[in-house]
Amino acid sequence: MDDRSADSDPVTAGESSILDTLGEDVIRIVSPVSLCMVLVVLLVSSLSSTNDLSSSISSLFLSSTTTPTSFSSLNLLLLGSDSTWEEIKSALVTALSFVVVVTLLTFLLVLLFYFRCTNFLRIYMGISSLFVLSFLGGFISLLLISHLKIPIDPFTFAILLFNLSVVGVFAVFMPKFPISMNQGYLVAIGVLTAYWFTMLPEWTTWALLIAMSLYDLAAVLLPIGPLRLLVELAMSRNEEIPALVYEARPVDPQPGDRVRVWRERTDVRIEATENSTNSANVQTVQETRLAVSEEITAPLIEAFPQTGDRHLGTEEEEDGIGLGSSGAIKLGLGDFIFYSVLVGRAAMYDYMTVYACYLAIMAGLGVTLLLLAVYRKALPALPVSIMLGVVFYLLTRVLLEVFVVQCSSNLLMF
Amino acid sequence: MTVAAGVGYVLIALGPALSLFASVIAKKPFLILTLLSSTLFWLISLIILAGAWRAFLPVKSTELWPYSILILTSVGFQEGIRIGFWRLFKKMEDMLNAFADRVSKPRLFLTDKMQLALAGGLGHGLAHAVFFCLSLLTPAFGPATFYVDKCPSIPFFLISAIIALGFVIIHTFSMVIAFNGYTEGKRKDQIFVPFAHLIAALITLINLVPGGCNIGLPLLCIMAGTTLYYNWQLVWRRLTEHQTTRSSD
Repeated sequence: MDDRSADSDPVTAGESSILDTLGEDVIRIVSPVSLCMVLVVLLVSSLSSTNDLSSSISSLFLSSTTTPTSFSSLNLLLLGSDSTWEEIKSALVTALSFVVVVTLLTFLLVLLFYFRCTNFLRIYMGISSLFVLSFLGGFISLLLISHLKIPIDPFTFAILLFNLSVVGVFAVFMPKFPISMNQGYLVAIGVLTAYWFTMLPEWTTWALLIAMSLYDLAAVLLPIGPLRLLVELAMSRNEEIPALVYEARPVDPQPGDRVRVWRERTDVRIEATENSTNSANVQTVQETRLAVSEEITAPLIEAFPQTGDRHLGTEEEEDGIGLGSSGAIKLGLGDFIFYSVLVGRAAMYDYMTVYACYLAIMAGLGVTLLLLAVYRKALPALPVSIMLGVVFYLLTRVLLEVFVVQCSSNLLMF
Repeated sequence: MTVAAGVGYVLIALGPALSLFASVIAKKPFLILTLLSSTLFWLISLIILAGAWRAFLPVKSTELWPYSILILTSVGFQEGIRIGFWRLFKKMEDMLNAFADRVSKPRLFLTDKMQLALAGGLGHGLAHAVFFCLSLLTPAFGPATFYVDKCPSIPFFLISAIIALGFVIIHTFSMVIAFNGYTEGKRKDQIFVPFAHLIAALITLINLVPGGCNIGLPLLCIMAGTTLYYNWQLVWRRLTEHQTTRSSD
């Protein structure tokens, strides 16, 4: 029975309530983030092995790359002793070195963007996405195939991998590609990179997460932060930063759909009023205060390319959260990755921590979106969520688990 | 007992919740957000309880009284929090109404408010099922099963799934009853909810007795059915009253 007919007041029977469309944008960001986390948790739990095995696999993989600064592999190989203090020390060193490298590379990125080497950046990012999709994707697929004993021959595998990677690169970088494929491949890249990060040893992962969230906070909010410089450069030139960013646009194209370029907000409004569904969308976007107000002519966006992983060379991923030119929320792929790393690492302990961390990250994302609505400028999406996630992980592990197991094993529930 | 059994247990615990989600909540994004925040709220209350009780755990005795104190304090705390939740809900309602006025759309209907209450309750129920049942279900996906000493006739996972099912229903619909009770100021509804919750929790105390779960489980399901019935009567009455008042304008 339709709930509107249950309320059947002849006057308001045709009208829709605000509850129908409110919060759509938030859900469009929450769904892919949740999907990415679910996939990483599934991968982690189906491919879970002992710590030694995963560290040896990752050290094998790392030593086979030819990057100059394979610090982590050195650390892993040198990690003879298992004592906690040694692990903590190496974790801190690794995390710090990672942050330093990322800062340097982001400054390099700002420099390149300043000298308008945009083509170079785009091609570079295309190559790094290809690398992630083909090498990482291939590696993880091989792990899955061997673990689940899927019968497949090398030729089919090679063809499939090649096809999927190439289409993925196109999906991510061609502007007119269907948005659903773009979003799907971005989530796939996020899942693969996040799974790779969960193969790091435990203390290193946590130290890395905390260090990256502090870096994100500094890089976006401090006046000398590289990401802030990048955003200001892009805004002053009215250009888009070439980077991997998830844009939460609706999948079905609406009339008057906008290409992803910088636009005046007023243009968008004029187009929107022509179509009622469009206007509802724009209105919702406006009124939920997650959109740029009319006073700001250059739409704000994005965040900040963040060079991910120094072992795979540098890939440009964006971090932070902002508003798209069509009013949709944009979330950098680096955020997807680090959220999923946190949840994946929680999955390696127990599922209770997974649920608690998932809720904490969603809460952090909600808080960040609220702040975005209030401050209306690009904000770092990592710090709040990661900090909440870490706090909830600790609380669950220390407090909640004992309580719940005690109650449940006695079949006492409330 | 293999993936099929594990999935089966998940569906037993969460079946009605999933169908409620798919039919009512998934259609309106705001309800999904309400669900997530109420799940978080329940988790925080559970963490606070766990923190308060950490020093006294694990309870080694097989006596009844430590567990009954545990249950009483937990239920009392959660019911107290429910009033706080209701205050937050009122504030949110006011904000939504103000927003609706600005966008020149109609204010929240009665059904909207009830749906919000339903989403909130479902969040609580979902949190209960997830933390008390699902998070312990991981071994069920493996090749073996587990029996508790006090209840050798039913696998542990099945018991916790059925209890979780009962509590999902109780939590979901008590929220609707409670919000209606607080809004209308009816004592009967306001008292019913903590009462039902307490009785349901005390019923699980029966499980401490060897063989008690054979009595406890059906009683819990009866309690869940009672809550469902009470809620049905309340909502029916409310909606028919609302319709008659509206059509008499």
